Amino acid sequence: MKKIFPLILILIFASLLSVLLLNHQVIDRSLSDHYLQSGVEETGAINLVTAILFDYRGFDTLGEATVIFGVASAIAFLVPKKRATMLAATFSVAVYQTISFILPFLGVLGLYLILYGHLSPGGGFTGGVVIATISILLTITFGPDYSEKRWRYKTKTLMESFGGMTFIFIGLIGILAGSNFLANGQALFSLGKPGDLFSGGTISLLNLATGIKVGAGLAIIFNCMIKEE
Amino acid sequence: MNSIYAVVGILICIGFYTILTKTNLIKMVIGINIIESAVILLLVALSYKPGGSAPILDKGYELVVDPIPQALALTAIVIGASTTAMMLALIIKIFSKHHTLDVREIRNLRG
Repeated sequence: MKKIFPLILILIFASLLSVLLLNHQVIDRSLSDHYLQSGVEETGAINLVTAILFDYRGFDTLGEATVIFGVASAIAFLVPKKRATMLAATFSVAVYQTISFILPFLGVLGLYLILYGHLSPGGGFTGGVVIATISILLTITFGPDYSEKRWRYKTKTLMESFGGMTFIFIGLIGILAGSNFLANGQALFSLGKPGDLFSGGTISLLNLATGIKVGAGLAIIFNCMIKEE
Repeated sequence: MNSIYAVVGILICIGFYTILTKTNLIKMVIGINIIESAVILLLVALSYKPGGSAPILDKGYELVVDPIPQALALTAIVIGASTTAMMLALIIKIFSKHHTLDVREIRNLRG
């Protein structure tokens, strides 16, 4: 009897959903056509997903970065245990050697993804996750104490705050230049030649700020959640 | 094309069924994550154009897919990871207080 009621609810929901999904109209692509035609001239970035994330919808991305900041703060507040005894396992020599071999390459990959975010697939969020992976791998293989020693908790919080503040200050420069918040081409930033490394105005700077912020934030989240009494 | 929408609908229904019937908190989080994956799949399917390549306007492109849903999918992935971490942290707190993950035994959560 208890299983019947959710099943009926799901069936009603499924019929509503099928009506909604299978009878959809032709998608209006006028906005994306505008982006495809004049997005490169307006933003200077040839990667249109990054152009939309950090130029047209930069304010949205600021909110997204704020969510990560809020979650990292809330988890650090909720799970304030000091020690981590769960990861006391020891591995063979191969694991330690392999991890210490690939860690520098992971750093280079993360920085590449962040710095070339306006030219190739990637961007601040992807590169930030790769940088957070360094901290996670260090914690899993060498233990939380070693990870905390190499990349201190205070440094992480400082990096996260620095990323968020940089994002907001770059946005405020747009206001000071006489345009709106997070203005790129309308403010005094030069867009450069599309396809070059130094192009896109604020987009690469915002990518860098977001990468630092996301990397430090996800590392804080992981290192807080593995702790126990 | 319609088969993708059918998959999205089935995944959302599986997620809702998991949330409604399972009593383990971690399984409920898995259900929420299934719904989230279905929504991301829907966004990617909406951006699809037959024969389109990635929305990077380098030299020699012909037809690229719609970039707006992909940017929204990126947002959804980040927010989803954050909310999952938040839910798991709350579950850690609940477990340390009640020593169980069964919602029927956690009396304080009963509405």
